[in-house]
Amino acid sequence: MAANTEALNKAWKTIVDFLSPGGRPILEVSFPEIQFQSAVDILVQNGIVNIIEDWFFENVQRDIRQRVAPNFWNYYTSTACQGASEWSDNLLKAVQFLHQVSEEYKPSLQRLESISSGTHPKNSLQTFCGVQKLSDVLITLFKAIIFAQVPNGYQEGLDHFYSEAFKVFNDTNSDNKGGGNEEVERQCDGCGENTEVCRCAQIMDRFHTVNRLLDEVGILEEVSGTSATALVHEKIQQHVEAQCKGRFETSFLESLENWLDTKVLGWLNLIYTGNRTHIGADCISSFRGRLQHFLYKTYAQVQINEFFKIIIDFPESAPAVQDLKACLEKTDMRAQLISTLRSSIETRLLHPGVNTSDILTAYISAIRALRVLDPAGVILELVCDPVRKYLRCRDDTVRCIVSSLTDDGSSELLDELIKGQPLVLDESGHSDDEDEDWEKWNPDPVDADPATASKSRRASDIISMLVNIYGSKELFVNEYRTLLADRILTNFNYEIGREIRYLEHLKLRFGESQLHYCEVMLKDVADSKRINARIKEEKAQRNEQDVVEVNSMILSAQFWPAFREEKITLPEEMQKLLEAYTKKFEALKGNRTLQWKSHLGLMNIDIELKDRTINFKVSPVHAAIIMQFQEKNKWTVEELSKTLQMPATALRRKIAYWQSQGLLKEESNDTFVLVEDHRGHTHDYLMTEDDETESAMASTQAQKEEEYQIYWSYIVGMLTNLESLPIERIHSMLRMFTMQGASTMECTIQELKQFLDRKVKEQQLMYSGGVYRLPK
Amino acid sequence: MNQGWTAVATWHWVANDENCGICRMAFDGCCPDCKLPGDDCPLVWGECSHCFHIHCIVKWLNSQQVHQLCPMCRQDWKFKE
Repeated sequence: MAANTEALNKAWKTIVDFLSPGGRPILEVSFPEIQFQSAVDILVQNGIVNIIEDWFFENVQRDIRQRVAPNFWNYYTSTACQGASEWSDNLLKAVQFLHQVSEEYKPSLQRLESISSGTHPKNSLQTFCGVQKLSDVLITLFKAIIFAQVPNGYQEGLDHFYSEAFKVFNDTNSDNKGGGNEEVERQCDGCGENTEVCRCAQIMDRFHTVNRLLDEVGILEEVSGTSATALVHEKIQQHVEAQCKGRFETSFLESLENWLDTKVLGWLNLIYTGNRTHIGADCISSFRGRLQHFLYKTYAQVQINEFFKIIIDFPESAPAVQDLKACLEKTDMRAQLISTLRSSIETRLLHPGVNTSDILTAYISAIRALRVLDPAGVILELVCDPVRKYLRCRDDTVRCIVSSLTDDGSSELLDELIKGQPLVLDESGHSDDEDEDWEKWNPDPVDADPATASKSRRASDIISMLVNIYGSKELFVNEYRTLLADRILTNFNYEIGREIRYLEHLKLRFGESQLHYCEVMLKDVADSKRINARIKEEKAQRNEQDVVEVNSMILSAQFWPAFREEKITLPEEMQKLLEAYTKKFEALKGNRTLQWKSHLGLMNIDIELKDRTINFKVSPVHAAIIMQFQEKNKWTVEELSKTLQMPATALRRKIAYWQSQGLLKEESNDTFVLVEDHRGHTHDYLMTEDDETESAMASTQAQKEEEYQIYWSYIVGMLTNLESLPIERIHSMLRMFTMQGASTMECTIQELKQFLDRKVKEQQLMYSGGVYRLPK
Repeated sequence: MNQGWTAVATWHWVANDENCGICRMAFDGCCPDCKLPGDDCPLVWGECSHCFHIHCIVKWLNSQQVHQLCPMCRQDWKFKE
């Protein structure tokens, strides 16, 4: 028993000698393997061979903790404030030290490997670490113990080390090394030093050594992983920002991917492949996927932040939109796009400082751009909802849309109009279409509103979208009618071919019945032209000569929007001309007569002054005023207003025009004189708003007022019969009786309430206990 | 002093009422079957001095089997020349 113990002791001692890592020299090198083997055999006989491994790693752990780790970190912390370069040198030294330690452990590990083949007790460290080889246990211990306590500044230093190397790498591999520049350039792009003392080669050399050593120890990934990944991400971000920010006219995806493959992956290959033992090339290629994703994400991020500008620039920015589309397919950033775009639209577009026409332009290009981005139209719907809401609360939206539809300038909308599909309005429900190609069918994106049919989103074109801001054609058609009337009555152009063409396009869109009134209006113009020609012909036959050639625009009152009324009695000579024309018209068209709108129209007059003759194109009212000055030179406003039978305030406005032309002068208060002599006079030029642009049509407000008068008669009738009614009843009854025709406007309860409240204020109505009644 | 004048007027039928007694539409407008007023949808007068859109009264007369009466005053309808 004693002998056995002694043998065991001896054998144990041998094993300890053999396996103790580093430091201690190994004794009796003459036949070491045999001696070791026999020592192991003794332990095997005693059945305690498995304690070798436990003991060994116990020892190693202690060694690492007490000796290796402090020494390793000592390299970083010993010199107090180090420059980056010294730090890198220290890193090299530390890694060299670690490598050396690792090498020292190697023989012992090999021995251990040879004796413990196959037997893995369940509670061994190897099983605990979950690794295949004993050498991996050592690596695990390195990682666990050394990197358990990382000193300050280590990560930063490491980051710097790698980014420095990246810079050098990037510089040496870049293609644009212009030969001419070299003389001028005193600085090396790679290391930032003077070219004479360029340290590029040195940096790269050190870089390769560190990587090789770390790999041999087996902790390359552990040490470099975080830094390399962070660095690569940072570089990608920088590159994307530098390359793509604010440039929308070119597509970048291809060049970016190319850059990723050559530069970034080239760099990673430099670190991780070559003849590395611990990391395979497949690791890099799987990393490539992740990096690509990151690249797309970064790029998408940049473009999303700029997407408002992209929209404004569309269609020049179409490549950027295409790029973003590709990115969105690969990354999950729709939600971000939508929220970013919404908020940038809200801050940049939807505030009182922006013209309605500009908002509309932006809206239109948003429709275009987003349709490219997302053919299903869901993003568009989500993003533009606030725009629509906002436009709805602007007064001049309809007018802007209609005028841009018919203007010569903006051909965009006109082109859209000419494409001519019938309007798709929200309210029209769609059944599932059979004619759609089922193989190409895609479900709506998840963020789509399930309440609206996907077809309606997809099919609607820009004009429909614009009309849909209000959701009613009537509003648009009415506005168009007013604009058309305005155009006819300010230009007095009898050539209406262009207008007819527009009208035909609009008819395709809005339907025949809606535009019937406009058709009649245009026909009026054509008829007037014919009548004018006939009357002129007759006159020529009879050899009559008039001082003034009167042409007329004869309108069908029922079909035109309400005219702006203005009271004036024209001078007799003017009246006579009109009467003569009326006679001729009556002769031409039996049983019909004319009612002149004397304030509308256009007069082309020459005013002969003492020293010159001036030609003016003015309204008959203006002409009538200036004509009065033919008789006498000086008029007071009162006299004029009596002669012309027009209110003094309106008269003053008209006089202001002549004042601004320098023909009339306010001599004293309310007294005007004709300025015959131009020379030596300072005119009281008045800045008047151009009266000529005043619409010939009654304002919408005035039109509404008129419509309410119709309602009022109904309301009085109701209340006489039923005594008292709540507002809901009044509204529903009004709807029943009056709001059926196409031309009557829609009136909401709120509007009705405003109207009724006004009537209450005027004491034409009483309101008490929630019901309205007539005062007794 | 004046050279040219483009004046604006509205035309009206010289009739003793505003609306057609048959279709209740304005005389200056047109009957429900028409699109364009004026020459395309003229008025006619009967000897009883009532007047209607021509299309309206013709339709009315066609629907009367026995006597052709003015729908307003029930006298025999005769077109006024």
